[in-house]
Amino acid sequence: MGTENPGRPNFPMTASPFAAAPPPTATPFSASGPVVGSEASGFRPQAQPPQNAMPSMSSGPVVGPQASGYRPNSLPARFNDPPVISPPTAYVPPIGGPPFQRYPTPQFPSVHQTPPPRAPPIGQPPFQPPAGQVPSQASFHPQPQVHSVPMGSPPSRANDLQLPSDSSSFAPRANFQPPFSSMDSSYSAPKASLQPPLPGYVKQANSVSQAPSMAPFHAQQGSYAAPIPAPPPPYHPQQGGFSQPPPIAAPFGFHSRDQIQHPGSAPPIGGIQGLAEDFGSLSIGAVPGTIDSGLDPKALPRPLDGDAEPNLLGEAYSMNCNPRYLRLTTSAIPSSQSLLSRWHCPLGAVVCPLAEAPEGEEVPVINFVSTGIIRCRRCRTYVNPYVTFTDSGRKWRCNICALLNDVPGDYFAQLDATGRRIDLNQRPELIKGSVDFVAPTEYMVRPPMPPLYFFLIDVSVSAVRSGMIEVVAQTIRSCLDELPGFPRTQVGFITFDSTIHFYNMKSSLTQPQMMVVSDLDDIFVPLPDDLLVNLSESRPVVEAFLDSLPSMFLDNVNMESALGPAVKAAFMVMNKLGGKLLIFQNTMPSLGVGRLRLRGDDLRVYGTDKEHALRIPEDPFYKNMAAECTKYQIGVNVYAFSDKYIDIASLGALAKYSGGQIYYYPSFQSASHGEKLRHELARDLTRETAWEAVMRVRCGKGIRFSSYHGNFMLRSTDLLALPAVDCDKAYGAQLSLEETLLTSQTVYFQVALLYPFEQNYVKLILHLSFIHLLLFMEVVLTIKRYTASCGERRIRVHTAAVPVVTDLGEMYRHADTGAIVSLFARLAIEKSLSHKLEDSRSSVQLRIVKALREFRNLHAVQHRLGGRMIYPESLKLLPLYGLALSKSAALRGGYTDVQLDDRCAVGFTMMALPVNKLLKLLYPSLIRVDEYLLKPSAQTDEFKNIMKKLPLTAESLDSRGLYVYDDGFRFVLWFGRMLSPDLAMNLLGQDAAVEFSKVALGKHDTEMSRKLMGVLRKLRETDSSYYQLCNLVRQGEQPREGFFLLTNFVEDQIGGTSGYSEWMVQIHRQVQQSA
Amino acid sequence: MGDLFVWLIAFFILIALLVIVIFQLMALADLEFDYINPYDSSSRINKVILPEYITEGVLCLFFLITGHWCMSLLCIPYLYYNVRLYTQRQHLVDVTEIFNMLSWEKKQRLFKLGYLIVLLFLSIFWMILTALEDSDYD
Repeated sequence: MGTENPGRPNFPMTASPFAAAPPPTATPFSASGPVVGSEASGFRPQAQPPQNAMPSMSSGPVVGPQASGYRPNSLPARFNDPPVISPPTAYVPPIGGPPFQRYPTPQFPSVHQTPPPRAPPIGQPPFQPPAGQVPSQASFHPQPQVHSVPMGSPPSRANDLQLPSDSSSFAPRANFQPPFSSMDSSYSAPKASLQPPLPGYVKQANSVSQAPSMAPFHAQQGSYAAPIPAPPPPYHPQQGGFSQPPPIAAPFGFHSRDQIQHPGSAPPIGGIQGLAEDFGSLSIGAVPGTIDSGLDPKALPRPLDGDAEPNLLGEAYSMNCNPRYLRLTTSAIPSSQSLLSRWHCPLGAVVCPLAEAPEGEEVPVINFVSTGIIRCRRCRTYVNPYVTFTDSGRKWRCNICALLNDVPGDYFAQLDATGRRIDLNQRPELIKGSVDFVAPTEYMVRPPMPPLYFFLIDVSVSAVRSGMIEVVAQTIRSCLDELPGFPRTQVGFITFDSTIHFYNMKSSLTQPQMMVVSDLDDIFVPLPDDLLVNLSESRPVVEAFLDSLPSMFLDNVNMESALGPAVKAAFMVMNKLGGKLLIFQNTMPSLGVGRLRLRGDDLRVYGTDKEHALRIPEDPFYKNMAAECTKYQIGVNVYAFSDKYIDIASLGALAKYSGGQIYYYPSFQSASHGEKLRHELARDLTRETAWEAVMRVRCGKGIRFSSYHGNFMLRSTDLLALPAVDCDKAYGAQLSLEETLLTSQTVYFQVALLYPFEQNYVKLILHLSFIHLLLFMEVVLTIKRYTASCGERRIRVHTAAVPVVTDLGEMYRHADTGAIVSLFARLAIEKSLSHKLEDSRSSVQLRIVKALREFRNLHAVQHRLGGRMIYPESLKLLPLYGLALSKSAALRGGYTDVQLDDRCAVGFTMMALPVNKLLKLLYPSLIRVDEYLLKPSAQTDEFKNIMKKLPLTAESLDSRGLYVYDDGFRFVLWFGRMLSPDLAMNLLGQDAAVEFSKVALGKHDTEMSRKLMGVLRKLRETDSSYYQLCNLVRQGEQPREGFFLLTNFVEDQIGGTSGYSEWMVQIHRQVQQSA
Repeated sequence: MGDLFVWLIAFFILIALLVIVIFQLMALADLEFDYINPYDSSSRINKVILPEYITEGVLCLFFLITGHWCMSLLCIPYLYYNVRLYTQRQHLVDVTEIFNMLSWEKKQRLFKLGYLIVLLFLSIFWMILTALEDSDYD
């Protein structure tokens, strides 16, 4: 930021984006009415005033103007006047009337599970048994009594559920209320008065049929309101007995009529400010008299405060699982196909089922010993915070399919006056969005296998020379104590060059026996057992083996590598148990099946249509082998070390399709890279791992997960096979609507997914369903984990509820940039496997442009935007991340920019990274440390101050400074040219004068060195999944400076790519082109 | 009389091809509805792919030898497509990507099916025509 760039004068930017927005002068009521009715264009700014005027509206949800046609019709006609004007007392009458009568119907049903035609609320039975479940209508008949019961004792849980679902503000009271209040008296004796409800119900039904066309509209409006974090007051009072009309009326009116919106429940302080919260804007556009674009680089949005996890839904959804487990690209699901088509970002989720929880937030483990796991008997939903208990606690209603299930005797608890279970606080599964269930034996087809680690180590000459074997052997040895699953853990080893060496490590031996198989075409396993041994029994032998391994092959001069046959051999040894296979590969496989050849040295291929072939596996052997491994529950992790081409694209396929991971260490030398390998291998061996996992994603009617992206193999259309899944892996999935949801309100769920009752594997189930415009999403992950002596299987369930909206503005407001970028990255990388890099870059850009254009169209009319660029506040970083993505090593430039292997390795890594790590990789942090080091005393609280991230541009670098660049995978320590030699001496000792490429940063006995090490340690601690090796770079030292640092400055123009401000201008132009 | 036999043989070859393609389609449909796993599905399909290609080649050659140039010509696009897939080594179904490719694989086979049905009708037509001519001749 410090230095001036002459080429880019800073034009004053219009800081307050909405200067142009008309000040809220109009009188609230009179102004707003007509405006809404007449034209959408003007109404936004003007409608603002009412907000100021009416304090009670503070909670009023703000909804972006709706483009769709229905709203002008419906709104003015019905809602306009009553809402705003309607004082508390008026709330029923003005609104009530016919329109509302209609409402109740959809509503009641959901609670009482009645009405066939209005089915919407009732969730679909995703798990419908093949036998053909009774669909809506059928199930509905026998239920009269059922109705009455819930009504009589208004279950608070039901309300809870309902209210949010139903458009926070208005459904609850306007619709809900009349029915309830009127019936209140008759209902007080729930069972006795069976009749009243029915007539009442019928009447409502009639009214519905009378005005059928209107109903949908209403519903829609209701739905869009939902996202707004329903302010608590409206709900709770209701539970108490539906009093407190006043607050109700106000929000209602607000809602329906003015679509203005405030994010969340932020009180509308001022019109302008309110708008500013809504979206950001940048003034772009040539200032007269200059050629340069009038864009102030400093004003561009940057993620300098780190990635903020979205938590936009507020109180009504407080029982959702933490976003670290599940992040949706937008926490507002569009209600119709047409709305979805206007949302140009991906609609989907990034799931990281085993994400590490910070201390104190561990996922609670629940063991239903006596009752078995409580699940809906129709759709197999696990009991979760959103189910409701009725019938004084004897039944519970599934939130997904609305089926009324019996509560097992041992699980029974009384309901209190508000309908909550009295033991709620002792039941974590009813208050927490994420829980682990201990799975009983019927969930297992085979008893849990012991954790198995199998090591396949290349011992050809280059492996010996690089020192890889030594580091690996030492690391494994040091981790033996920490391998999970003691005392059942099993280990095995194979080494290979042109032959394959098996090791018999039977516990009765003192030294391992080596057996060599040289027939590569017909691999056989020389010993039936004893190749896999129990670690606790054979510990001395294993240790002896690891101690002698480095020296055993010291004199090996064999240059060949028979990886393919070795993998086959390992597979034969492992396939009875499954487990984790770690491959350490140092040269390109050259013998036997799966041998690879040098690709990518033909420069003419680059840039042509054939280029993408270099990024996919050359030999189908690797894919097939990976598929076989997955079938037998073997997860493969590939560690590739080479100074030459090793064909990561092919090797990586082994890991990709078996749920593993690729680690790539180009030109590995144990002296300089050993620490990184040591740390990452140790992490791989000791981190929390779920074995034999299967993740299922399934949804109710109308919505489904259409594609999955990440490292796994699909076993059926929605079943992800994950032989070994751990906390560092995330999976992306895209949602699609199969039909417009509005029709699905009237049609019952009909999905009948055939699928074996319970499999032994882990399953992650995403149930989606709509309960009255509320979408419930449940992620269920069953994992088998090992405890002390015997295996036990667990089911991890993440539950989240998300509203369905009818308004595009609402979707933008709840958008999650991180999840969107993560899906963009996965899609772009996948595209680069079948298209040119150029194409996948431009597809990212195109989608960003489309998304922003749509947003602009949404707002262009009411605000005279002129040349300003506007973007949703929630997506302000999207263009920057888009730029960073197209400059990431996976997609950047052409042949000369990134080595083929590097590119593939980064691509594979990015496919598996959780959102926050991906964002860090895309926009690394740059921190200036010299001032901190020079300060005499270092207090710990100073630490935060120095962690100030700088924009990633060469302008941030001061030649008198010392900077740390951290992208989560490596550090670069940049020494300015004018940095005091003293400091360098202090940090590096005698090495300060030497060429930096040969210097490794070591500890020196000076205060500064200690402080620097402290900084680096702190940075490493923030994320331990990878180890950042420190590279030292001097200013002006080419080509290292360029390679390590300058190419990664995403905001700069590098080699023909555009810088951040150019990129913004470019995007802005494209947005405007057909806006 | 010989010509009638030619058409009859062509008819049976075509029926065989149809059966193979339908078999593949069924395997894909089963996979889609989760009746079988991708391993079984792809191995079933891959088992019959080469026979399908060979049969198709034989049919084309058969028409050529027996002098039915038009029919032979009609078979050539299909044959060319198969050969191209084979030379690009894309003829086999990839078990790891089968779900992503599902719609494409199905579409491809549906087109083949339609193509074969047209051929079948043509050869039936010729067969009947020949039979009628023969009987007229007699």
